[in-house]
Amino acid sequence: MLVDYLERGVLAGVIAGLAYGLYMALVANPLLGYMETVAEGSEHGDHASAGEHAHAAGEHAHEAGEHAHAVSEATTAAVSIGSGVLWGILLGGAFALAFYFFEPALPGRGRVKTYVLAGAGFLAVSLAPWLVLPPTTPGAEQAFDPTFRSALYAGMMAVGAVVAAGSIYGYRRVSTRSRPIGVVTAAVPIVALVAITVVAAPTIVEIGAMPAELVAAFRGLTVLSQAALWALVAGCFGWLQTRAGVRPAAERRDDLLTSP
Amino acid sequence: MTTTETVHDRIGTARDELTTGQLLAVFAFVAALTFALLFLQEPLAHDSMHNFRHAVGVTCH
Repeated sequence: MLVDYLERGVLAGVIAGLAYGLYMALVANPLLGYMETVAEGSEHGDHASAGEHAHAAGEHAHEAGEHAHAVSEATTAAVSIGSGVLWGILLGGAFALAFYFFEPALPGRGRVKTYVLAGAGFLAVSLAPWLVLPPTTPGAEQAFDPTFRSALYAGMMAVGAVVAAGSIYGYRRVSTRSRPIGVVTAAVPIVALVAITVVAAPTIVEIGAMPAELVAAFRGLTVLSQAALWALVAGCFGWLQTRAGVRPAAERRDDLLTSP
Repeated sequence: MTTTETVHDRIGTARDELTTGQLLAVFAFVAALTFALLFLQEPLAHDSMHNFRHAVGVTCH
């Protein structure tokens, strides 16, 4: 059964990963290419659109710009598309493993459970770390060394997982009495996490010379594309489960009770 | 209503169906993939994934 779930998860991941690879190819690669040019342009000073900030952030933009050129742009573009597909497969596989074990504990009926788990995964893998380390644009300046930031990212993933678990546990405890109060209870850990990070987390990512609107658009796109990837994994996984004839435990139980 | 499945039951089912070695292999493989994909620091591989890391919001310049 575990292996069947994993198989469907990886297949869902392939579908979602191909879609994400397409997004990498059509949107992210060209956009990041453009943003690299903006970051590098600002380094050369006043002719760039962000010229007035250039002197302050120029050095860092320079460092970040140079960093990207150890391999050719074509290689970066191709490997990034491939990584996008692999990323979908990885999320799909991990999603299926988690779904196999946590399905009985997830709230909702049928396919709702897959979306609840996808939401929890998105919160843990991306949203929680982004509250401290927002998606970085080319030319951005970051505090601390990469090792510390990786550890921080991993730590925030753990915090996100705990918050998601707390949220689901709270909903399950309270929703038997009242669903609206259950929803409010589920929101409490998430709101607390956002409030605490907004107040307490230091600013680690400085956007540098990049126009703020462009950074906001890029971050919005990053958040939406990751959310879409999770939704697609959950949607495809649910569809594959239905197609394979797997029905939720609750329905199977109803059948057992009603059958002669 | 006594047949409600729990997380504990699922762990039990997995134990019955697969050996501990098989389970460990599955988890180790996923862990290794995550590591390779996100934290691979070998410069050529790391730089090739540059756009990808930006797009998923995981970077280290």
